[in-house]
Amino acid sequence: MRVSRLRRILQLLLVPYLPLTLLLLAMLFPFYWMVLTSLKTLGEVFDYVTMPLWVLKPTLSNYTYLFEKIQFGRWYLNSIWITVLTTVFSLVVSVLAGYAIARLKFRGATLIGVLVFITYLVPKTLLFIPVAQVLNNVGMLGNLNALALAYPSFLIPFCTWLLTGYFRTIPIDPEECAMVDGCSRFGAAMRITLPMAVPGILTAAIFAFTLSWNELLYALVFVTGESNKTLPVGLINSLAQRDFFNWGPLMAGATLASIPVAILYFFFMDRFVGGLTAGAVKG
Amino acid sequence: MATKLSTNTKQISGLLTGIRNTRWLDREGPLGYLMISPAFLFLAFMLAYPFAISIYLSLTDKRLGADPQFIAWDNFAILFNTSRFWKTVTNSLVYTVGSLLLKFLGGLAVAQLLNREFIGKRLATAILLLPWIIPTVFSTLAWWWMLDPANSIINVMLKRWGLIQNNLPFLTDPAWAMGSLIILNTWRGVPFFAITFLAAIQTVPDELIDASKIDGANEWKRFWSVIFPLIVPVVVIVILISTIGTISDFELPYLLTKGGPRDATMVFGILTFDYSMNVGRVGLGAAVSLTMLPALALLVVLSLVELRRQT
Repeated sequence: MRVSRLRRILQLLLVPYLPLTLLLLAMLFPFYWMVLTSLKTLGEVFDYVTMPLWVLKPTLSNYTYLFEKIQFGRWYLNSIWITVLTTVFSLVVSVLAGYAIARLKFRGATLIGVLVFITYLVPKTLLFIPVAQVLNNVGMLGNLNALALAYPSFLIPFCTWLLTGYFRTIPIDPEECAMVDGCSRFGAAMRITLPMAVPGILTAAIFAFTLSWNELLYALVFVTGESNKTLPVGLINSLAQRDFFNWGPLMAGATLASIPVAILYFFFMDRFVGGLTAGAVKG
Repeated sequence: MATKLSTNTKQISGLLTGIRNTRWLDREGPLGYLMISPAFLFLAFMLAYPFAISIYLSLTDKRLGADPQFIAWDNFAILFNTSRFWKTVTNSLVYTVGSLLLKFLGGLAVAQLLNREFIGKRLATAILLLPWIIPTVFSTLAWWWMLDPANSIINVMLKRWGLIQNNLPFLTDPAWAMGSLIILNTWRGVPFFAITFLAAIQTVPDELIDASKIDGANEWKRFWSVIFPLIVPVVVIVILISTIGTISDFELPYLLTKGGPRDATMVFGILTFDYSMNVGRVGLGAAVSLTMLPALALLVVLSLVELRRQT
């Protein structure tokens, strides 16, 4: 009896715990290294003799550097502004479109559904040159708000695609009952189906927020001027493209910039997993 | 009783919609077009129209700050005669196939590892997903620092443990640089592949698995002959969509290697950026990005066909 229990424990250690531990270490190490470096003094960052994998004299000087020496706070506000604005705008547009494609019968509904999927797959690499041209024509190239116009072009296809799928899973009967009770078609959609779609909308919102927060290419090309930058561009341009790499502040900046998404993830992990397995996400 | 009631209400509501069709917005057609129009107009202006501009620019000699002249196919002729372009094609292929293969195999292995009950499963899943959740730009900065030519912590530790004498050239040697890029792409993508595959595996009926257990098949055989054939549809879609993202990737190579050393990691996204933004030849850059189009169109069509077949 005792021998078999020992064997069982050994077996569990072999699968899944041993490979799982190695895997999770590999997944976590870059983040550990990022946070650890952000807490090190300059001397300790380049000290490979004492204890490279730990911090002996933790300091917050890398964090204060961000706010005193470069416009990190400004970039943070820029990122929040653009991310919130584009997420809300894209969601409103996508809820309307997603509902119509999923629920309403009109000529071309299927075709439009297919078009949404195609636009979702069009990569930004293909579009940044001509979109810069369009932004230039409307006199917005260089402004921070150019991004407010540019980001929905990939957020709307994504959110519409995800929400169309979600609306299809909601039963239609309650809506029909409401119409019997005198609601208009649009009123029934807004008052009955929309509240039932909240989990789907939340998933779309979280992904839209993350996509926008993470965006690099458009922010790099469409925006000029130090005080107009978003976090990714600001960090790369100010800290990583000089002869001397400021690893401490760079890692501190990366840590602070990751926090909003980490918080979202902490509270809404199930929404992340749900959206991911809805097959609506590029890997 | 309940079903009867609901068919009754359906009939009544159908009747009522018929009566109220006089109200314009209650008719599905006009309402549908109205609700779709903001998305349609926005995407027409910010996606379809730019796409047309891109095709036009690729046929001109447009440079930054100058007016375009129509030059027909010259940009493409230039590209097809440039070894740098063909190197980009090969690199993109290596990057895409390498990353996809590792993500596919790694995803299957991790999914199968998680496809059992054990204490700490939820925590393990939460940690596993972090590389995919935390914004790529910021995690790639951490990788960049981890692989830094002079200060890589990996080299530091391997030397400390006496495993190597000289630094490994993670980003400075052509082959190593491409390898690093593929590993980073895999690190970021495996969580997504694994969780999607796991969700698919969990829809496989228990009876099938039990039956194969009775037949005496071991876990390896059971996976490939019973489980895998049933999750193929999900695998195909995930691979197709991920291929589109990887072939046109910009962020990872831009942050980690910028196409170097000596163009060893030059891929479509970086070459497009380099020609248009650094060299200033916008027309040529547009042409580079459009050379991806046949491959992308094929992948999009395959995804569409596959999705329609499945639903």
